Amino acid sequence: MPEPRFRSRTFKRVKKKLPGGSTVTHYEKRRPKQGTCPVTGETLKGVARERPTKLKSIGKSKKRPTRPFGGVLSSRAARDKIKQEAREQK
Amino acid sequence: MYEIGRLCVKIAGRDARLKCVIIDVIDDTFVMIDGQTRRRKCNKIHIEPLDKVLKLKKDASHSEVVSVLKKEGIEVVDTKPKKATVKPTRQLKKKETPVKETKKPKVKPVVKKEESKPVEKLDELVVEDKKTDKK
Repeated sequence: MPEPRFRSRTFKRVKKKLPGGSTVTHYEKRRPKQGTCPVTGETLKGVARERPTKLKSIGKSKKRPTRPFGGVLSSRAARDKIKQEAREQK
Repeated sequence: MYEIGRLCVKIAGRDARLKCVIIDVIDDTFVMIDGQTRRRKCNKIHIEPLDKVLKLKKDASHSEVVSVLKKEGIEVVDTKPKKATVKPTRQLKKKETPVKETKKPKVKPVVKKEESKPVEKLDELVVEDKKTDKK
C-alpha cells in the first residue's frame, strides 16, 4: 500500500527498473495543462508546458511566441484586438 | 484602399502593432511595405489600412519613408544588422612534456693491440754473440 500522502491522484505512478533488476514505483508530480485563450477558448500554441523548476532552465523565447499578446491570447484574438485599437485611433 | 502611400498598421507577426507605408502593389494579395517594419512584401490580410495617405513615389527609399513618417510624428528606430564577430578561440595550454634524457650507449674505446714480436730465445742470442766475438 502506498503512503497516505501518495494515495492522491495528483501523483502519477511510474515504474522504474533498478540496476539490481528489481522494479520500484516512483511517485512523480504531473505536468500542468496547456493554456487556453480567455477570448476564444482555443489552446495556446507555442507555450511550454512544464513544472516551474524545469521552466527556469528553458529560454525566454522558447516559452511563448514572440509577438504581442504571445502566450496570453490566441493569434486570432490578438489580431482582432490590434484591429480594434487601430480603428479607435482613427 | 491598398494604394501607394497608404499608412497601415501591421496586425500579425513579430512586428504587429507597428506602423508601415505601402510602397508598391505586387499582386491582388501581396503588397510591399516599409516603415517601422522591415522592408518586405506582406499579405493584405496582415495589415489594417488607416485613414492617411502619404505622398510617396513608387519604390521610395527607406530614408524617404523615414522622413515622411517623421513629419507625421511617427518615429522609426533603425536596427543595424549585427556584424558577424570573430569568436575568440580558446587557446589550449600545451602541456610541457618532460624531456627524457636519452642515455647514450656506452662506447668502449677501441684499443689497438700492438703486434707482439716473437720473443727470441736467449740461448740463440748468446750463440750469435759468441760467433761474432770469434771473428
